[in-house]
Amino acid sequence: MKFFATPNINFARLNRPILLVALSVSLICVGLVIAFGLTYGIDFLGGTSIELRFEKNLEIADVRAALSQVGFGNAEIKTLGTPTEILIRVQDIEPGTEISDAIQAEITKAFPDNPYSVQMVEKVGPKIGAELRTDALWAILVSSLTIMIYIWWRFKSLISGVGALAALAFDVLITLAVFCVFKLEISLSVIAAFLTIVGYSINDKIVVYDRIRENLKILRRETFENLVNISINQTLSRTVLTGGTTLMVLVVLYLFGGEVIHNFSLALLLGIIIGTYSSMFVATPIIVEWHNRRQLNRSRVVAKVPAN
Amino acid sequence: MRRKNLVRTLIILMVIGWSVVVLYPTYNVNQLESKAEVYYAKIQESTTLNRNEIRAALNSGNLQLQARNHFKGVDGADLDSFINANVQPLIELDDKIKEDEPKAIPLGLDLQGGTYLVYEVDLPQLMQNLAKAKDSDFEAAIQAITARVHSTNDDFFDILPAVFQEKGFRLNRYFGGTRDTDTKIIDDLKLEAEDAVNRTLEVLRNRIDQFGVSEPSITKQGSHRIVIELAGIQDVDRAKRIIGTTALLEFQLEAEPEKASAIRNAINRVWKRKIDKMGGQSSDSTFQADTSSTQGKLREDTEVNLRDVFGETAIKEDRPESQDSSAANADSTVLVDQEIFQDRPFDALLADLGGDIAVPTKNRLAVENILNSPEVQSVIPNDSEFLFSNRSHPAGDQEYYMLYILKKEPELVGSMIADARPSIGSELQAGRWIVNMELTAEGARIFSRVTEKNVGKRLAIVLDGRVVSIPNIQEKIPSGRAQITGMANDKEAKDLAIVLRAGALPAPVEVIEERTVGPSLGQDSINKGKFSAYVGMALILAFVFIYYKLSGLVADFALLLNLLITMAVLAAFHATLTLPGVAGLILSVGMAVDANVLIFERIREELRMGKTIRAAIDNGYGRAFTTILDSNLTTLLTAVILYQFGTGPIRGFALTLSIGIIVSMFTAILVTRVVFDQATDRFAIKKLSI
Repeated sequence: MKFFATPNINFARLNRPILLVALSVSLICVGLVIAFGLTYGIDFLGGTSIELRFEKNLEIADVRAALSQVGFGNAEIKTLGTPTEILIRVQDIEPGTEISDAIQAEITKAFPDNPYSVQMVEKVGPKIGAELRTDALWAILVSSLTIMIYIWWRFKSLISGVGALAALAFDVLITLAVFCVFKLEISLSVIAAFLTIVGYSINDKIVVYDRIRENLKILRRETFENLVNISINQTLSRTVLTGGTTLMVLVVLYLFGGEVIHNFSLALLLGIIIGTYSSMFVATPIIVEWHNRRQLNRSRVVAKVPAN
Repeated sequence: MRRKNLVRTLIILMVIGWSVVVLYPTYNVNQLESKAEVYYAKIQESTTLNRNEIRAALNSGNLQLQARNHFKGVDGADLDSFINANVQPLIELDDKIKEDEPKAIPLGLDLQGGTYLVYEVDLPQLMQNLAKAKDSDFEAAIQAITARVHSTNDDFFDILPAVFQEKGFRLNRYFGGTRDTDTKIIDDLKLEAEDAVNRTLEVLRNRIDQFGVSEPSITKQGSHRIVIELAGIQDVDRAKRIIGTTALLEFQLEAEPEKASAIRNAINRVWKRKIDKMGGQSSDSTFQADTSSTQGKLREDTEVNLRDVFGETAIKEDRPESQDSSAANADSTVLVDQEIFQDRPFDALLADLGGDIAVPTKNRLAVENILNSPEVQSVIPNDSEFLFSNRSHPAGDQEYYMLYILKKEPELVGSMIADARPSIGSELQAGRWIVNMELTAEGARIFSRVTEKNVGKRLAIVLDGRVVSIPNIQEKIPSGRAQITGMANDKEAKDLAIVLRAGALPAPVEVIEERTVGPSLGQDSINKGKFSAYVGMALILAFVFIYYKLSGLVADFALLLNLLITMAVLAAFHATLTLPGVAGLILSVGMAVDANVLIFERIREELRMGKTIRAAIDNGYGRAFTTILDSNLTTLLTAVILYQFGTGPIRGFALTLSIGIIVSMFTAILVTRVVFDQATDRFAIKKLSI
């Protein structure tokens, strides 16, 4: 079985429109992120989150009524999957207060014939939340920078690094926008997923860059634009295959992995799909366009651009 | 070529062998645990115990006893055969599991249940403890520092001098020698803080060790935070109580009775003056005659608006540990003896219970506020203090907290306790739980002297500022043994003993982060993780085979090997497996496919260009190598950053991803190559099935 044995899709012809599309999509995403806002989990806001599993079904309204008795009437309450699993989330205002105990005591009082077990408790003080936010930001920045420097070093070309970085930003931005629009919670594991997307996405770019570098040595007669085109076509089967298998695995994880890593696997899923797209339709067009512009400023025709 | 192949084949076989050996304990434990599940179910069926209780009984070694006590069926032969058929085998299985468990892959908290706690040492409080002379200016400064600590992320030792400077004090007014410079004082304080955090670490480690949790983890984080991980713990609240209590134990004598009454009179005077200044009773005071509960009351009380007691002064902040937070607002009422309210407003809030001052629960907050007010503080002499009892006592139909006037300077402190044991009391304390204490040599000496000089007086045993018991000194006690009575149940006695043995914390600690996962959620996650892993692997293996035919099989073999070796490395390094870790494993396998795809696609290209099979294979591997290296390296870089930045579950993910990728370079490049080489060497292959 073979996909794309000898493809010859002319990607280059569509460079300009593609870049325009990428740019507009990015801007729309920025707008969406600002409009819908990031739904932070308690990891970044601070607060207490309790997951209880009851024996019998429960109405959220009843739970809310019970919580109002202890001043938590505006807590976030939702069911997880089944009507017997309740998630209660409260924002911590004062440090050191034992919210989870108060809530549990009240629930026990309000529903004496419906025993429950505590599945999970998470409590994050507000200061920690702020620290984690800073840490997350740093982690993303540092890894993006490290990657850019690495590519610059390996491929001796700054524009390759910039192109890769732009593609990475594109990946993360779109995934982030989806999370914002659907009000999906951004927790520590989601940030970890973003970092993984960065790492995976760069894989794709490197495979294409590698091909380009190799072709520059052999196909000396081609224009740069054609050369890039050929390189993408040559790596197309590999990109689709690897992307496909990784995707397969992530879909399984998303469907069967359970509530706990739900958002995590979704972020990875989206990121990898978009990452595959951005290798061909963001990173390389940027490089080609850059090269073309530089060519116009020079008299030489030979493709003496990102060479080793 | 053949020799090179031989060596490489041998290396691969050795690695496989090593992996199997290292992973065997994990496999074994898994098998044994599945078998044990059957017995768990059977025991749950025939007794009233639930799974958690069975687990706890197994840990404490008394499952047989518990099973007997909670057996649902008929006693006698049935019971014995049940024990033999189900309880005994489970105990044996559990022992075997415990043997191999240390060598198996440890499960993260999110898979085995447990709790992750981050404690922060209360540095402002520590500073208070270290200060040489405290006055109201100092208190104000400490409050400002505390506020800033909670609202900003600045370093504590930047905040401290900054606040002092703003208030206009010099540091040497409260710390260190009078001629020490600010820098020296800050440096000294930093050392003190570091020492305190280290001591806190030791004390907490002691406490946790006595808890009986298997493999607890306690480490320092940053300069003044402590991370505690308790895997598989059943009672998280109890653990937090034991860890979080400061456990400062002090033995304080009661103040002389004349002095005590003098203080009380002074307080009444001062408070009356204050209320009179505030305009006395406001015109809309509400005097509710409390007629419903005149039965069995200690005196005639009426309910009075707090505003009348305090004037317009707002009631201060709610104390976290008081149950009656509803009494915090100024519109609630306190019980007041109307007759004496005019002349002795303080006494009006109190009652008399067997000669001691009793405070109705409703009034406690008000009394505390009065005692803490600056006017009253100024009339309480420096060598005395008021302390409440640690729990309330019922009398009539009300609950009262006892209030004692004690000498501030303790005669004995907790560090003089050599040992503490919970036990059931005798004689006066027959049937009730107590804690027997044995003092150190020095402590015994001091105790002997104190008891000798103060026969007939009472010695209060104070824990964290609350009076636990206040026994009468009947005679000189030379033995250095003492008892703490008044424990509610066995748990309380045991917990207090643990905490006394481990020692007091130099400064209070506060939970700033907690993540607890219950065991059933953990089991859930394990099941889901396993299922996803199986399905994901199956899909990948099938797909690779279909696409690359026989060569695909070779790649499949390499992928399976990848999984095996990665898990063996985890076991060898005793690295914790978390749920995201399982995701990382699956992901790394998905990415390992990449390496194979790169190589195989190259080989296909070479074949298409007409090269021989050998040449195609050679070129395929050669050309693909740099690409694989580059792309894997960048993913590794991000995984390393993830490891640094993340905690717990995320670290597990970064770890398995990294190990999986590194191993995949081994399996994809070396293993498949060896298979190909062996095949082309031994068989005359005309067409490569790829």
